[in-house]
Amino acid sequence: MKTITKIIVPVLSICILYSCGGVPEEKTAAAGGKKVFAVEEVLEMVAKENDVTRTLYTKAIVGGGKKQGMKFDEDWRKDDVEAGPLPALFLRGVATSIRKSPVPLGLYLGSDFPVNAANKFEGKQADLFKKIKEDQKPQFFYDDDQKLHTAMFVDLASAGACVTCHNEHPQTSKSDWKLGDVMGATTWQYPKDSLTYKETVAVLNSYAKGTVDTYMAYLDEIEAFKESEKPEIGDKWPAEGKYLPTAEVFLDSVRKLSSYETMKHLVAAK
Amino acid sequence: MFKVSPLRKRQFLGGIIGLVLGVSLFYILTLDATEGYVSISPMNTGHNELSCFACHADAKGNLMQQVQSNISHAFGARDESVDFGTQDVTVNNCLQCHDRPNDRHPTYRFSEPRFKDAIKHIDATTCITCHSEHHEERVSVENINYCMNCHQDLKVENDPLDISHVQLIAKKAWNTCIQCHDFHGNHTYQVPEHLSDTIPMQKIQAYFEGGEDPYGMVKKYIALSQEEWLKTIENSK
Repeated sequence: MKTITKIIVPVLSICILYSCGGVPEEKTAAAGGKKVFAVEEVLEMVAKENDVTRTLYTKAIVGGGKKQGMKFDEDWRKDDVEAGPLPALFLRGVATSIRKSPVPLGLYLGSDFPVNAANKFEGKQADLFKKIKEDQKPQFFYDDDQKLHTAMFVDLASAGACVTCHNEHPQTSKSDWKLGDVMGATTWQYPKDSLTYKETVAVLNSYAKGTVDTYMAYLDEIEAFKESEKPEIGDKWPAEGKYLPTAEVFLDSVRKLSSYETMKHLVAAK
Repeated sequence: MFKVSPLRKRQFLGGIIGLVLGVSLFYILTLDATEGYVSISPMNTGHNELSCFACHADAKGNLMQQVQSNISHAFGARDESVDFGTQDVTVNNCLQCHDRPNDRHPTYRFSEPRFKDAIKHIDATTCITCHSEHHEERVSVENINYCMNCHQDLKVENDPLDISHVQLIAKKAWNTCIQCHDFHGNHTYQVPEHLSDTIPMQKIQAYFEGGEDPYGMVKKYIALSQEEWLKTIENSK
């Protein structure tokens, strides 16, 4: 009896427990790959894509669209407002879409003179934004509280529409913006210090998907217009008349403008 | 093979009864029909029809595997521990039914570093800070002055309110925010222009406790029911 209780029962219990095997560890193909990019490199790549997308949207869609009588509004999602998203709201739409994806990428837009007071930089971000205003170079830091690698990139007044809208906005906190001014900065966050090739592509894809999702939401909004004239959606741009490109045409143009820089990084790593 | 000492007979019998009772209770309380008895208290408003699994999904593996994995983790033979019994409930569980593009205060926005101080006072990165479950109510936040954490500098151009927002903030009348604005902006609601016409606090409190919706019944977004949520899962496969 003593032998049974002291040796056989514990050994048997361990054998039974061990023979069950554990819960399989989650190791995705991406996580198992070789880390080839520092997080700073990846965030620079996706920030570049964002620059191109934002400039194209602001100049060609908002700037060009306004000339054709199309409306853009911060309350574009309200039921009684028939308008498209202003560039800052477009970026927020992209950021929301990214957060819904499995990619743990965070994207935010802020300024020292925001239209919405809640978007004003504070603390560490405010300090680093001062440096960005001086030299327009990216700033990187590790956010200890959230354990996230964080990068800030300059956001310039790259189109006339940025300047006029911000200067004329009823709630603006600064009304002498000029073309080329540092209007704000985008903040990006990612939890790992280095990424595999697949993880990097996933980050870039999640941004591209965010662009398509938000642009599609705008096209859906147009579809529901009751009083305003609906632009024709196809392969033409507002520069040619009351037209808007489809999401595919818009994304294709983004890719043509940004692909060289991004591909250079990706191919070099391969 | 087993010889029980006469002196330990009662102890042995007690052990056997305990084992049988334990196994029976485990079996009975894990049946779908007994969910109501296992729940720590009634569900919040709108969640009455949810089954436990809607939030408490089974953890991966069986119980023995989970025990083995966690022991391995404790001894350093495995990188990650695993959930035991059921998976942890996270913001993502809530968002599967409640996520929508027009949310004025989506949880993810508060992950930005500049909200670091604000979330020390009210952690808006997670739903349960204000909507703690199993309390048979709608909103569980203790103090409704939370707007003060981000909107101290608010100025409204051409302020339509008879007592301006700046004056209200100067008076620290933070409870008045909720009398006009629902936090998530989900109601199509004509905001009053006179403070005297705003929703009385008693009605707001009753709404928080699960009562009638004082902002009206016209909502921009209706959360998914359990059936609709299950369909989204099915469609994503």
